[in-house]
Amino acid sequence: MTDAPDMNVVFQALAHPARRRILDIVRDRPGCTVGAVGDDFEMSRIGVLKHIRNLEAADLLVSQREGRERHLYFNVVPIQMIYDRWTSEYGRLWAGRLARVKYRVENREEER
Amino acid sequence: MSESERKAVYRVKIRGTVDDVWRELTRTDRPQYAMFNSVMHFNALAAGGQLRMRSPNGKYTGVAGRFVEVTRPVLLSHTLRFTNYDDPECTIVYDLKEIPEGVELTLTVEDLPTGTKSEKQLKQGGPFIVKNLKAVVETGRPTLGARLLFVLFKLLAPFNPESTRSENWPLPGTGS
Repeated sequence: MTDAPDMNVVFQALAHPARRRILDIVRDRPGCTVGAVGDDFEMSRIGVLKHIRNLEAADLLVSQREGRERHLYFNVVPIQMIYDRWTSEYGRLWAGRLARVKYRVENREEER
Repeated sequence: MSESERKAVYRVKIRGTVDDVWRELTRTDRPQYAMFNSVMHFNALAAGGQLRMRSPNGKYTGVAGRFVEVTRPVLLSHTLRFTNYDDPECTIVYDLKEIPEGVELTLTVEDLPTGTKSEKQLKQGGPFIVKNLKAVVETGRPTLGARLLFVLFKLLAPFNPESTRSENWPLPGTGS
């Protein structure tokens, strides 16, 4: 189980909409560069870099240097450990089913 | 698709020493809980050595590969292919770094065979491996979810495909 200080950092990192958007971008484009992430934002490059560092500190992003560029990868493990901590108690089967019903109904509403 | 796009990275911090984590990654004396309860067999723990991950009774081989780099106790890299799929092999890299809290373990999967069943299995397996290595080193046993999974594996073993039988995946130089 992730200990409390680790988990605090993860929740803090996830608490900002820009950082959640960065995770979406990197998850969909594994190995993208810091510059490429910045292209999706109107804020300054330094602002984006600050958010990226915050996500790296929480281990939600891992950067690897390849040649002259730094490539970013989404690390799902901290989120998996949050999921593991609470879902076994309440039943992941039913939670999963309810979530799927919500996604299905809401997507259908969007289609209308 | 570029090289960096065909890569997946998983990282976890473990309260232990690099030697503890290395021991778990390379042990052959009992099943490796973090590796889906399979037993590691190799003919040499060195670059070029062949490895197999087999069921505890030795009947089935789930993974076959070759060590690419072995730098004790900080870097272990090997190729991997699942014996039940006919997919291209990928490379697994375990990078162990000593940090004030213990060890930072990074598992990188390179050359992911995109769009294959192996890719799906590797992406599900990555988080399982690093979180169970953490659990085993810190508490001495795998997570509850892993323990339940091992029971399921045991029950389903008779239904493993013929292609995974260990006689189809001999380990050169060991007679097994």
